[in-house]
Amino acid sequence: MARRLRFVAEGLAVALVGALLALLVWRIVEDNGGSVSGALSKGHTPTAPTFDLKRLDGDGSIDLASVKGRKPFVLDFWASWCIPCIHESQRLERATKQYGNRVTFIGVDTKDYGPDARAWVRKHGITYPSVHDGSGAVLNRWEGRVLLPSIFFVDRAGKVVGQLAVEQDLPRYLHQIAES
Amino acid sequence: MIRLLAVVVVALVLAPAALACNPHPTLAAMEGQIMCPVCGTTLDQSDSAAAAQIENVISRRIAAGDSDCQIKDLLVQQYGDAILAAPPRHGLGLLAWWLPIAGIVVAAAVLGVGVWRWSRHVDDEPPFDPNQNGRGGLDPALERRVDEELARFDG
Repeated sequence: MARRLRFVAEGLAVALVGALLALLVWRIVEDNGGSVSGALSKGHTPTAPTFDLKRLDGDGSIDLASVKGRKPFVLDFWASWCIPCIHESQRLERATKQYGNRVTFIGVDTKDYGPDARAWVRKHGITYPSVHDGSGAVLNRWEGRVLLPSIFFVDRAGKVVGQLAVEQDLPRYLHQIAES
Repeated sequence: MIRLLAVVVVALVLAPAALACNPHPTLAAMEGQIMCPVCGTTLDQSDSAAAAQIENVISRRIAAGDSDCQIKDLLVQQYGDAILAAPPRHGLGLLAWWLPIAGIVVAAAVLGVGVWRWSRHVDDEPPFDPNQNGRGGLDPALERRVDEELARFDG
C-alpha cells in the first residue's frame, strides 16, 4: 500500500514538472511569434485581433469587431510618458485631414495613467479617439513587447498589412489600406 | 507539533494587522510595493519614464491625503493587478498567499508523522547488548559450524 502510494506521488511529481516545462516552452513560443508584429516580421498578413476597451474620454467603449471588416483602420499605441509618441500621433492627426473619411484612426493609450493621458491628448491636439489599455494586454497581443509608439495598418478585409518602421511607411500604408 | 500549531495560530491572528491600511503612507515605502509597468521591477529600482509618472501620481495622492490602500486601488484600476508587487488578497491571488502556508503545514505534518514512525520503529528494536560488541547474533547454523571449525583447530 505504502509502495503504491509512493509510486503515485512520484508519478504526480514527474507530471507536475512536465506540465511546468510545457508551460515554459509554450510561453517562449508565444512570446516570440504569437503577436501581430511577430507574424508581420515573418511576412504574414494576420487577421487583426479584436478588443473592446473603454474610451479614454469616458464616452463609452470601442469594440474593434464593429470596425474590422467594414473600414480600413490605423491603430496607434501610445502613452503620455512616451516622448516619440508625440511626433507620431501628431503625424497621424495631420493624416486624418486627408484620410479621415476613408480610414478610421484609433489610439490605444497603453500602460498609462488615464488622467495624464487625457491631459496629453488635449495638450497635443489629438482629435481621433483613444481607448485605455492600462494593463498593456492589447499591446502585448499586437506588439508582443513594450515598444512605443507602435502603429499598425489594417485593410478593409481586417488583415494587418503592415507596421510603421520608417517615416515613409505612413503615407505608403495609408494609401494601401485606403484603396483596399 | 504543538509549537508549530502555535506559530500558525499567532501568524493568522497577526495577519489582519499586517494587512491593515496605512493612512499616512510615504513614497519611499510605496515604491517597493508598486511595479514599474514597463520594466518588470519595482518603482524604486527603475528610472524609466513610466515609473516616474507613477511616482508622481503616488506623490499627488499622498499629498491629497489618500491611504496606501486607496492609492493601490487607484493604480490597480488604471493598470490592472500586475501593478502590485505582491499578489492581490482576493480571487486567484489568494492562492499565492495561502499556498506557501499550506505547504509549510503539510511539510511539517509529513515530517512529524515521519519522525513519529521512525521513533516507534526504534522502540521496537531489541535493547542494545554491549556483549555483542555492536554486532548482532549469528545464525544458529553458522554459529554451530564456527564452533565445529574452532574445535578442529583446538583439537
